[in-house]
Amino acid sequence: MNILIPHNWLLEHLETNANPSDIQRELSLAGPSVERITQDGGEAIYDIEVTTNRVDSMSVRGIAREAAVILNQAGFKSKLKPLSIPVPHETNVLRLPKIFNKPELCGRIICVILSHVQRTPTPDWMAKRLKQTGMNVHDCAIDITNYVTHELGHPCHAFDWDKLVATGGEIRVEEAKKGENFSTLDGETFTTVGGEVVFKNSQGRIIDLPSIKGTQNTSIDDQTQNVLLLMESIKAAKVRFASMTHAIRTTAAQLMEKNVDPHLAEPVLKRGIQLYQELCLAEVASPIFDEFHNSSPPRPVITPMVIFEKYLGIKLSQTAISTILINLGCQVQLDETKSNLVVQPPTFRPDLTIPADIVEEVARIYGYHNLPSQLMTTAIPTIYPKHTNFDLEEKAKIFLSLVGWQEVYTYSLVSKIQAEASGLAAGRHLKLQNPLTEDKVYLRRSLLPSLIEVLNQNPLEAHYSVFELANIYQPQTDNLPKEELILGLASHQTARQVRGAVEALLDYLYVDEYEFIPNQDQQITMIYASARGHQNKYKLGTLAIKSDLCLVELEWKKILAVANTHPQYQVVSSFPSVVEDLTFILQPDQSVGPIMQTIKLVSPLIANVAFVNQYEKNTTFRIGYHDPNHSLSSDQLKPIRQKLVKKVELTHSAKLVGKV
Amino acid sequence: MVTNKTKPMNIKQLQSAIHELKQAAVNDDSLVDQKHQTFLGKKGKFNLLAKKILDLPQADRKKAGQLLNQLKSELESILTQSVTSKTLQWIDLSIPGNKPLVGHLHPISQAIEEISRIFEKIGFTRVRYPEADWDWYAFEGLNMPPNHPARDEWETFFVDVPANPEYGKLVLIPHTSNGQVREMERLHGQPPIRMINIARCYRRQQDATHTQMFHQFEGLVVDKGINIQHLKGTLDHFASQFYGPGTKSRIRPFHFQFTEPSFEVDFSCHICQGTGKVGKNKCRFCKSGWHEVGGAGMVHPNVLKASGIDPAQYTGFAFGWGVERTYSLKDDLNIDDIRLIYSNQASFLTQF
Repeated sequence: MNILIPHNWLLEHLETNANPSDIQRELSLAGPSVERITQDGGEAIYDIEVTTNRVDSMSVRGIAREAAVILNQAGFKSKLKPLSIPVPHETNVLRLPKIFNKPELCGRIICVILSHVQRTPTPDWMAKRLKQTGMNVHDCAIDITNYVTHELGHPCHAFDWDKLVATGGEIRVEEAKKGENFSTLDGETFTTVGGEVVFKNSQGRIIDLPSIKGTQNTSIDDQTQNVLLLMESIKAAKVRFASMTHAIRTTAAQLMEKNVDPHLAEPVLKRGIQLYQELCLAEVASPIFDEFHNSSPPRPVITPMVIFEKYLGIKLSQTAISTILINLGCQVQLDETKSNLVVQPPTFRPDLTIPADIVEEVARIYGYHNLPSQLMTTAIPTIYPKHTNFDLEEKAKIFLSLVGWQEVYTYSLVSKIQAEASGLAAGRHLKLQNPLTEDKVYLRRSLLPSLIEVLNQNPLEAHYSVFELANIYQPQTDNLPKEELILGLASHQTARQVRGAVEALLDYLYVDEYEFIPNQDQQITMIYASARGHQNKYKLGTLAIKSDLCLVELEWKKILAVANTHPQYQVVSSFPSVVEDLTFILQPDQSVGPIMQTIKLVSPLIANVAFVNQYEKNTTFRIGYHDPNHSLSSDQLKPIRQKLVKKVELTHSAKLVGKV
Repeated sequence: MVTNKTKPMNIKQLQSAIHELKQAAVNDDSLVDQKHQTFLGKKGKFNLLAKKILDLPQADRKKAGQLLNQLKSELESILTQSVTSKTLQWIDLSIPGNKPLVGHLHPISQAIEEISRIFEKIGFTRVRYPEADWDWYAFEGLNMPPNHPARDEWETFFVDVPANPEYGKLVLIPHTSNGQVREMERLHGQPPIRMINIARCYRRQQDATHTQMFHQFEGLVVDKGINIQHLKGTLDHFASQFYGPGTKSRIRPFHFQFTEPSFEVDFSCHICQGTGKVGKNKCRFCKSGWHEVGGAGMVHPNVLKASGIDPAQYTGFAFGWGVERTYSLKDDLNIDDIRLIYSNQASFLTQF
């Protein structure tokens, strides 16, 4: 939550010799963060972020209180000015409503009637401050409530007393049932879901949504002459529930859902009375009604003295610690063992509940910047997560990038069309309950539609080849989705080029054995590999051709299973190999792979077969002959070569170019 | 004809003759062919000197032979460095290089690798935990009960599946802090813990500084005797490693439900060294001398307890920041719209 505080308003509560930039710097280091200072006619306006646990700082006075302590510690003269509000003269001219409270829903109700309220325009000084703090200006009778809320931090509400009397002159604090209707003061209508804390009249009609927003039937309007100024402390969780349920996020609700100190209600009421009297010439027409349950302060926090050194790593004297806490409004004493501080937080600090909270208060005021900085000297953990190898991921990614592939990061969330492009129905994907945009609704089950989209988005990059290593999400009944890392590749390159890149990657990761098994009809190739020393093959993934793009998906888990940290060195034979090229004329649509398989099986002396090139039907293979025990003679080679040619010609209806 | 009666020679004289000959070869700037003739030709200077071996005493001849062999190979190497010919084939050395086609690692990968290494150097273990996780791990186990106002800060995506009776709704993690609970669970509540968890995160917001998907890194250290000084030390280590020597960190009060005390972490601007001023002008890059990068704090005793660690014995700290934000503060990187990072435009990515 951010709050805007004009410098001059702050100075009504704070006496200091610090200038605005001192205040910005020191507050930010030890308290609420002053995010920026803007200037309005030569006056500094602080824009201050107040954390959700510190609703006591969400007011001019709250900030002044923090600033007084912090500036003092930083060496500036500073003091919180006392709050001087005249005691109103209570009368008995108009009848207070009958109030039926339920203490478990509302800890305090305080109110007073102000009669003869003149509908005067808001004076310039007040209008200026309201504008400086981002509020609208109406007329004085309305603006006073906003002004005192901003100044002191407890929201207050102005009822039209005559309207309230017309509804029966009763306020019953109750939980709404489901299906009750109410209209807020701006005319919007709502239906309760049940459980909202509301004010009702004797007939059970809702006459206010307390701590959130007034309703039309009782709120102040243009005709109002008599005001019931009222403050209540509805249970914070109840305020939050109603405010979130109906999306009515008023300033009042955002404060009251965070446990505003009910003790604040009284000074705010009296300050309100003072302003109504001064600015609207109102008269106090009733006694002050005050029903206050559980006004006791927060429980004391028993804080072991050793905990300060435990958290700060340095020893602070008991005096230093106590002084800071006392300046912050706590009462401090040592317990009988002399080893614990009993810290009694003030009523406005219900956030101080455990010793670590007390440490925080002492440490921040002492100054985090005054603590030394050092690395820990404790043991280094060596129990590493299993089945994860970040180094290998990095290695693979760097390799792919260095051989010309661009890494991309695409969203895990995809549109319905993209989800279905994976080949799985949208219903087989996990879906967001509350998506922000239509293009990000489903948790993807394939990277390929996203990668294809990247290629399509870069039409000028004819040679763009992209890859991504990211999760896909598989729904599982009664369990977390299965998140599987997938290495996806997409390219305009030919299948042969892409296959080459995949082969090179597998070689680079020292995968000993891998195999590409094509399905010619479906234009898809299965990629298999086995782990060193093991027979069983893992299916790593597929390489497919789809609308002129070549697409690869590999399961990273399987790559991890077959990759090695090092090769197995093969002793180089001292006997020379014989290498020769043979060219065959192939039948149309004849696959090259099976021919190479055939050649390999002709003789154990054929050590390797490589594809050289293809020109129209002429296809050249490079055959390496090797005998690990002898030098091969041409006599030895001749029968093998003849057998090879015969076998290829017979099995594949090919024809050798030339003669053997 | 005067017979050039050769005088007897000793090995020292031979050595100095060898030295002179080498110098002459180095200083001779004639073309290589001519040089070859002068020094290594049939009647070249080397052969002339070699003949003098006969003038040496028998005992020194073996040594002399070695010296001469060495000289010969040295002369050969000197000659290869000489100008080969005045009619060389003309090669245009002004032609730009022919670069091999390379791709690029995505900037987020580069940042993640750098961040990982910086923390691994000081003993952190990198981990990976679910991106779609139960409410318990994302919030409740972090001391954030359902409907807590603090949850408003995390604009959370919910997945449309039935809630788990024990762990609550399925969410896309809005921060990497679920890793804190999971890491303590993985180690069965047994410190030492020094974890760095880097993951994709998701929040329901989208503008120049927010994308629906982003990355965070989360640190967690738990052991006996861990205090705020160690957090400061770790932050300073990261700052100087990631942004360069001299970069400082600073912690300021903040509030998170899962840490107590909680901090906001700033790094000093490397342009103005934290002063906010360059010369007499305001620093254009940081405005105030410091960059806010993220949150940190001492692990809340309830979080330790929820993960089975005794807060009376152990303390710890945690921090979590956005990778994109942290990376975009690098010196002169000039990325001011984080949506660019996920645009996947070649024009952007190929610059990294």
